[in-house]
Parts: sequence; C-alpha cells; structure tokens
Amino acid sequence: MTVQLDRRSFLNTLGVTMGAAAAATAVPPIVPAAAQTSPPPKGSIPSTPLKFGHMTFLTGPGAVLGEPSLKGHLLAAEEINARGGILGKRKIETITADENAGTDANVKELRRMKLSEKIDMFTGVISSGNTPALGPVAEELSVLTIFVDGCTDFLWDKAVPNPKYTFRITNIQSADGVTCAVAAAQTWPTAKKIAHIHPDYSYGRNAFDHFMIAYKKMVPGAEVVSEGWPKLGTTDFTAHITKTISSNPDLIVSSVWGGDYVALYKQALRFGMFNNAKFASTIAFGVAPHAIGKDHPEGVIAGVHSNYYFTFPPGNRWPANKIFVEKYFKRWNEYPNFQSDGAYHTLHMYKTAVEKANRLVGGWPDEEAVISQLEGMYFETAAGYLYIRPDNHQGYKDAVTGFSKNVAEYQFQTLDPARMITIPIRNITAPPHWPKPGNGHNDPTATYNWIKETWPQVAA
Amino acid sequence: MTIFIIQILNSLFYAAVLFLIAAGLSLIYGVMRIVNLAHGSLYALGAYVSAWVVGGAVGHAMSGALGLAGALLLLPIGAVVIAAVGALIEPTLLRPLYRRPEEYHLLITFGLLMILEDAMKLLFGGTPLSAGSIMDSMGSIPIGRLLYPTYNLVVVAIGLIAALGLWWFIYRTRFGVILRATSQDRRMAAALGLNVGRVYVQAFAIGCFMAGLGGAVVVPAQAAVLGMGVEALVLAFVVVVIGGLGSLEGALVGALIVSLVRTAGIQFFPEIELAVLYLIATAVLLIRPTGLFGRA
Repeated sequence: MTVQLDRRSFLNTLGVTMGAAAAATAVPPIVPAAAQTSPPPKGSIPSTPLKFGHMTFLTGPGAVLGEPSLKGHLLAAEEINARGGILGKRKIETITADENAGTDANVKELRRMKLSEKIDMFTGVISSGNTPALGPVAEELSVLTIFVDGCTDFLWDKAVPNPKYTFRITNIQSADGVTCAVAAAQTWPTAKKIAHIHPDYSYGRNAFDHFMIAYKKMVPGAEVVSEGWPKLGTTDFTAHITKTISSNPDLIVSSVWGGDYVALYKQALRFGMFNNAKFASTIAFGVAPHAIGKDHPEGVIAGVHSNYYFTFPPGNRWPANKIFVEKYFKRWNEYPNFQSDGAYHTLHMYKTAVEKANRLVGGWPDEEAVISQLEGMYFETAAGYLYIRPDNHQGYKDAVTGFSKNVAEYQFQTLDPARMITIPIRNITAPPHWPKPGNGHNDPTATYNWIKETWPQVAA
Repeated sequence: MTIFIIQILNSLFYAAVLFLIAAGLSLIYGVMRIVNLAHGSLYALGAYVSAWVVGGAVGHAMSGALGLAGALLLLPIGAVVIAAVGALIEPTLLRPLYRRPEEYHLLITFGLLMILEDAMKLLFGGTPLSAGSIMDSMGSIPIGRLLYPTYNLVVVAIGLIAALGLWWFIYRTRFGVILRATSQDRRMAAALGLNVGRVYVQAFAIGCFMAGLGGAVVVPAQAAVLGMGVEALVLAFVVVVIGGLGSLEGALVGALIVSLVRTAGIQFFPEIELAVLYLIATAVLLIRPTGLFGRA
C-alpha cells in the first residue's frame, strides 16, 4: 500500500535545503585537512616516485570537462610534491592518456599503463561509457583505481559488483536525475507536461529514468510529452528545439553537457525555447564555469552533476572550499568545476589513506592496507563531507544544484548564491545492500527500484 | 503547420552546412582522388578562426564602427584562412604521395586530423568560442506563434549561392573545363600542356575554402567546440556515400536527404535518431554502391 501525503511534507522529509549566502565575516584561522602538515611517517619509506596514470578527455567535445580534471590532479600533485611527496618521500609523477581514444583503446591503454609503465595508481575518467569497461580490467590487473567521474550506477550494480581495487569519488549518477527532479518539483510543482532532450548514451538514459521516477512520485499526473535523443557531440539542435517547443511543455529537462550544451542553449535562445516553458538541467553548469556566457537564461535550474559549484559553500562557511578555489585560481587563472574538485581530492584522499595505513603498519603500506583505509573513509573536500561506502567503494556527498543568475562579480553566469539547493545524499540514493538489478527486480538501477518501492506517492 | 515549416527550414539550414562541407570533400576527391580525412577538422578550424576574429578585439572594433555589417564582413575570414592553409598543405604534404596507394593518403590525412585537433585546443583552449553577437543583432522572425532566427535564413541563402556558384564555376568557366579535364585524365591533361600541379593546389584550396566557409557560417548559430570537426567528417561521409563521392550534384542531393531524414527522425522517431542516417546510407550502398550520382 502506498502512503499518501502532500508534497511539502514529503520534501521536508527529504531535508531539501534552500540556502542563502552568508555575509562575509572575518576569516577564522581554520586550516582544512588537505592543507595540514602530517606527523613524520613511521618506519623507512623508499624515495622512489609514485607513478599515477590519469586518463581524461584531452581532445574532443569532452575536453571542456577533461581540462579541469587534469588541472585539479596536477594542482594536488604539485602541492604534495612541494612538501616532499607522500609520506614526505615519494613524489608523484603523472602520465596522462586521452580518453577520447574510445573505450577499446582506453582499456588497452590501462593495460599498457600497468604492465609497461608500471603505474602505482590509476585516476580520472569522465565518460559513463568507459568506467564499466575499465573497472573490471583494473580489478583483473589489481591496480588501485579511483575514478573521478564516469559515475554510472551500472559500474557497481553490474560491471564490478564486488570491488576491491576500484573506487569512485563523484556522486552516483542516479542522484543527478533525482536531484534535478526534487529541485523542479519544489520550484514548479504545477509542471505536468515534461519534454526531454538528452544525449543518447548511458548518462542521458540514466538522467531521463531517474528524473521521471522521482518526479512522478512528487508531481502526480506528470507525463512525457516529447523526447529528443541527440548523439553525444551534436552541435545542431534546431530540430530538437522545434520539436520540444511544438509539444507545448510546462518543463523542459536536459542532461546535454559540455560544448554540446553551450551550442544547445545558444540555439534555444533564438528559437525562444526558454520563453514559454521552465527549464531544468542536471549538468548545465558542470562545465568549466567560464564556458557559460552572460546570455544564458537566468532563473533556470542549472545543475552541476549534483556534485559541486565553486561558489558553494560560500564565504567562510566552509574554509576548505574558499582555500581550494583560491589555490586553483592562483595556479590556473580560472575557477574549478566538479571535475577539478574530484581529481584534486582524489590525490589528497589517497595521501590521507596512505598516512593512516603507515601509522598502523609502518613503512610504505601495501595496497591492502591503503584500501582498508579508503573503505569507509569520511573526508573533508571543497564540496563538503565525502563518505566512501565500504560495500561498493562509491563516494557519497550531499547533492547540490541551483538557479542561474548573472552577478556583477563574475564575467560569466553563475549559480544564484541566495538560492542554492542541497539535499542529504542518504535521502535520494539506495542504501547499502539494496537489491541490485537482476536480484528480484529488473529496474535500471538499485536506486530506481528503491524510489519506486519506498517513496510515497504525493497526493494530487 | 507552423512546426512543419520550421522543421523544413531547420532541415535546409542543416543541409546548407552539410553541403558546404561535403562539396569540398567531394571536389577534392573528384580532382585528386584523395579522401581527405582532415576535411572535418578544416571545417572546425574555420569555425574557430571566424569566432576568434569576430569575438576578438578586431571584431569589437569593426562592429563598433559598422555594426552588424562589420561583424558579417569579418565572418568569411575563417574560410579565407582555411583556403590558405589548404594551399600550404597540398604541395607540402599531399603532392609527394599521389603516386602511392590510397592507404598512404588515409594515413597522412588522418595524421593531419590529429595534429589539427590538438593545434585547435592549443591555440583556442578547451572553452567553446562563440560569435553570437551576429545572431543577436539579427534577431528572430515570428512564424505563426513561434520564432525563427533570421540568421539561419542567411545561412540557407549562402548554401544556395555556394551551390549555384560552384556549379557555374565548374561547368561554365574556363578553369572549370581545366579542372574537369584534369579530373578525367591527369596524364592527358599534363600532355596537353596544363600545369596539373597548379590545378591541384587550386582545387584543394577551393575545397578547403568550402569547408572553412561551412565552419564560418555555422559558428554564430552554434559555437566553435572541440570535436565538432570529427562529428562533421562522419556526417560528410554519410552525405557523399549517399550522393556519390566526387559528385557535386551528389553532395547537394545527399545533404538534402540526410538533413530531411534526420529532422523527420527527430520529430517522429526520436528513439532511432542515431541509427536512421546509417540505415539510409546502408540502403543506398546496397542498391547503388557508387552512390546516387557516383560513377563506378
């Protein structure tokens, strides 16, 4: 029997918070974990460098996300190396690989990096098409891996159901569609006719599925009036836009990202797509912040992959963010995105795990010891607390999204500091040990099934 | 009805851009028998150069002085630059390989594709570049209760003019006769005293100019983004497979078929948008392996 309750009470149970920016006050002398100096290591530590393989999009449409990923990685490596390396001894050397080579070539490259370059650790990866292929290979090669993105639920649901060596730091993908649905249902609860434009691959499909299952729970009678499935890398959206407008939607939902999204919004503006319908995106502002012009429509839900936006948490409320943004800007003369945050904290999280393991076992800890420290780790990042769940090695942090707004302070459009939305991650993703697809249900993901089975249906 | 009209206009817009790219690809193949895999990247480079010029300091000065006309005058610079790049590539990279088997052509142009993709990222960065000021100042026209961007109509007109111009150039001018003669029999043309080397460099430059023009006209409507060249190359191949490689009429008809079918797919069968173009190409290959206008 489904429980009936009204939307407001249900949103209250989800703990959705709409936050306003704090006025700037004097900075208290707080130093975040990433910047603290560590006690001297136990035992003797070899001085051989650590070799990291960082794979990300260096060319192609994905490079607009890949550049920030590599910049975050390099910034952390430089910082750690400037203090002598991990445990004060082992400096980080990075070799890069271009994810744009395609899934098969990426798998070969991971094998080459491990077998011939002898990497100690593998990081990066953006596409959800790639992590499910790379994950099993990383397990087979026993190479410690922290994926920055490629956050499909499928990785842990099916491809690597019992991970040992593989971890992932950005929020799980289903959270993205659900976050967008919660924000939309809270903001425009009367929107029933929904039009969709998503890239035709696993990310777009995942966003569509999870938006709809969550949104229908909160907005009874919601229906899909139009679907568009452009190929990833498309820059001509005129036909999709006309089709979308022709369906007279109340709300348009999109997960088109990167350079594709920049091309989409610029075309949509001239066709008047934003004039008569509301617009909600899971990932519009996930690109490098300066890629979004001031011509972008204001007041739309402009998601950041439910992970991180550089102005939040604001001011001095969360010094780790302020310090990270300042360091990143100083090094690269631009602002970070969620990839930068993920790649940067991947290294610091690894460093912390090695230090903890060293204190327990002395000397350079073996991989088993490092893994045991990563499992269940609760870690301070620029975006807030990050929890690495031991059962599936997935990073969880509170989901965030917001509304687009032009502010005088920046040359590009940003998220409205007075209207940031945060949702405790526990309330929008399946808990540990929830049945995976193929175990008693055949829904797209564990979270999809969990929402279907446990969320109440809001009364009409 | 309004939707129908706008979707037809959208198709024509898409066809105009596709034609500019595919016609250059086809022209180069027709004359030199080179399948230029870097053609899409030259299109992308044209887009980047135009966006950079229009959006940069010169662009602001020109549009400040002349308004919209200033920006529009700067737009074709992308095409001119790409023609110049083409005139440089042909004698240095391609000419030594004409006598070699096709694999060498593919290898060198693929290498060029990789170099150009990296060069664009190095020169222009990873962030998309746009020349949206042109579209903004041209505004949109109402069609029924909907809006259609005025600039897109300009692109359709440019595509049409380019098609007519190219046809006139190849079939009605002395240079066109020389071009066709060289394309039919290179050795005979040389024996009759034609400077084949010069014809080749001119043909290649014209092909590149078309690609650059495609990039230049598309950039105000969309944006110059990394990877757009590879995407365009794949579509241009679909166009020439349908129309017939080496045929100008084929490029025009192929571009129209591809864009109309794609638009119909998006409007009526969104689930198979990805597959529909390749299905058509497959059907054409099965029935007429040389393409609709191709010669065996």
